[in-house]
Amino acid sequence: MRRHLLLVSLLLLAIAGLALWRQSRLPRAIAITPTLTGQVEYCLTCHADLPEISQSHPVQTFGCVLCHGGEPLALDADLAHSTLRGGSNPSDLSVVEASCGGEKCHSGTPQVFRDHIQRVTTSVQATYAGAIAQVRYAFGAQPDLTARMGIYAIDGLTAFDPVQEISPAIQAFGLNCLFCHLSAQPMPSQEYDRWGGCAACHSPAPSRDDTTVHKLTTALPYTQCNKCHNRGNYSLADVQFHPRPDAPVDRLHDYYQPIAEFTRCEWTLDCADCHTRQEAMGDGHIYNNKKEIQYIRCRTCHGTLNSLPLTTTVSDPNDLALRMAFLDPVIDLKVGDTILVTDKGEPLWNIRVMPGIGNATPTYELFSKAAGQRFTFRPVMGSACQQDPDQQEARYCHECHATQR
Amino acid sequence: MRPSFYQHLHPPTIPSAQARLRYTLGAGGMAVFLTLVVGLTGILVTFYYVPTPEQAAKSIQELTFLAPFGWLMRNLHYWSAQLLVLVVLLHLLRVVFTGAYLPPRRLNYLLGLSLLVICLFMDFTGYVLRWDEGVHWALVAGTNLVKSIPLIGPGLYTFLVGSSQPGATTLIRFYAWHLFGLTILLIGIGGWHLFRVRRDGGIAVPPPELRPDAARIPRSELVRREGLAMLWATLVLVGLSIAIPAPLAPSIQEAGTSASESLAPWFFLWVQELLKLGDPFTFGVLIPLGVLLLLALVPYFSPRRLSPVELGRWFPAGGRNIQILVGVLSGAILLLTLLALLALPH
Repeated sequence: MRRHLLLVSLLLLAIAGLALWRQSRLPRAIAITPTLTGQVEYCLTCHADLPEISQSHPVQTFGCVLCHGGEPLALDADLAHSTLRGGSNPSDLSVVEASCGGEKCHSGTPQVFRDHIQRVTTSVQATYAGAIAQVRYAFGAQPDLTARMGIYAIDGLTAFDPVQEISPAIQAFGLNCLFCHLSAQPMPSQEYDRWGGCAACHSPAPSRDDTTVHKLTTALPYTQCNKCHNRGNYSLADVQFHPRPDAPVDRLHDYYQPIAEFTRCEWTLDCADCHTRQEAMGDGHIYNNKKEIQYIRCRTCHGTLNSLPLTTTVSDPNDLALRMAFLDPVIDLKVGDTILVTDKGEPLWNIRVMPGIGNATPTYELFSKAAGQRFTFRPVMGSACQQDPDQQEARYCHECHATQR
Repeated sequence: MRPSFYQHLHPPTIPSAQARLRYTLGAGGMAVFLTLVVGLTGILVTFYYVPTPEQAAKSIQELTFLAPFGWLMRNLHYWSAQLLVLVVLLHLLRVVFTGAYLPPRRLNYLLGLSLLVICLFMDFTGYVLRWDEGVHWALVAGTNLVKSIPLIGPGLYTFLVGSSQPGATTLIRFYAWHLFGLTILLIGIGGWHLFRVRRDGGIAVPPPELRPDAARIPRSELVRREGLAMLWATLVLVGLSIAIPAPLAPSIQEAGTSASESLAPWFFLWVQELLKLGDPFTFGVLIPLGVLLLLALVPYFSPRRLSPVELGRWFPAGGRNIQILVGVLSGAILLLTLLALLALPH
């Protein structure tokens, strides 16, 4: 009896020690109470070394859960992550409204430029409506090139379902060619790696060696766009994707695929230095193809023989241009500065008119969004260019200005 | 030496043949001990638990991850409750398979059976109090079963759920039942049960003149054995609490996102499996109630076949019909539980 008692007492002591050890091994919880939610969360206990995702989403204001979901109080990784929205990508279009939406965030009104989600979800990058219309028209499933179907049903588009298509070619298109829209899983090879949803463009691609960067940015290098663009061609002949055949080693060759024609500024700058938010993210309306929404021309910045590019002077401290410059502070833009503006009134906030002397032709300074590099350029007006002001498509400019490679 | 208060709770001597672990399994005493542990840890976790739909799961996470030794308290509460159900079932089987339900112990058998039912409801309400994705299905299915009862179903549903669907009113009612309603019943009927054990002459044994072994042990020995058993039980409880944490799931999300892995608590898995067979009222209410009724009738099935002479040992021949009945019922419930476990998605 006594030995029995001794044995069980020793075992109890041991297990009490084990319980103490277990308690001492629990992580010291790091709490934050983001001002927007007022609810304490402990995600930083494990994620303290994560850099802030962007200066417009400070962690003290947003915390983690507002965007990512998850269990704010759980210190067990499985439980904490079990309700993450969109896995590690809360901007996935299937959950984007819950993660990034809200009147004061990214599903507000167009008047205050907060309708990002409505714009993106109706854009050709997300619906792929242009490509679908093109292919269905090519293989006789619809009488014209009008967009009728999207990757999902939205704003008059019905959902494209390759299985319902009669033509085997359109079925093959569904199988072989739907890797680039914003909800698609990219092709398996590493050079195509990217996120979906907003993060497809605004976050660096997920890395395969666990060094993925926690970052949202508007400073997009061309390499971000090249995850989908300039990677090769979708062929209507065999309804297959054909990767570009070359192996570019420098930026000049990397930028565009071999068949492309372009000028110096088109490859020294990044895509986002010229192409605007509406072109990339849509304007909230359904378009039949990329061409319809893409409207930036050489003349947008350079003008024509008889007209200077359009400009606007920043007068409101809450001006969109200032907000954009805050997100990507490559330029010290301030109220009173004159910047270029597109035909549709979109500010080219990174291109400023330099103070001129008298009536001399103005000079413009451009700050590249990704690298922050400063370039200056002058308008066509007053130059030796003889291009007819009515013929302003890029191909006319390329006749003289195309880069040889 | 005058006996202490604790010793006074025990009879001065008991027959040594029937005080053996292999006869009683120690299940009754262990049930009392586990009830005390459940109660004590229950009081401690109550200081952290917030009974509102928004806060319930969060407060449990807070207890588990942030309160010092909160995880241990919660796990002890969980494991002692699970073991209590097991031990009570074991106690029931011991009583049935040794014929201890014979008069004068019929009433106490019924009291014990009602304690089993109270235990199951205690466990079920405790399970639901988690108010997370893991219990969502059990809550909805369980309360819908109530609704399926003809005539009184809808009224009973409103009485339990407090609204047309589970929500804040349900949680506070389950909380009140768990902490007060069922606890008062448990203490009341439990105390009565213990009193009747003594009043009915302690452990069921043959009349003194028919006992083959007249040896008895004093209560000091009994208390020593109890003490050792409690120490071992504590060891097992703490060990389980360290090794296997009580289940947790994310807070209930927006309606309709209930996790597919949701299950009934393990002791109701057999009912969940039965429900697959058809009509919820028949399979979810009538059959379980029928099983309970059969168990309640055990002391009334031809009691004259079993004579008191046969008491004090396992499987007396006179109680064969009852042993077969309860054996078959237990086997069926065990089989259904196994089937439900095998049907798990992973």
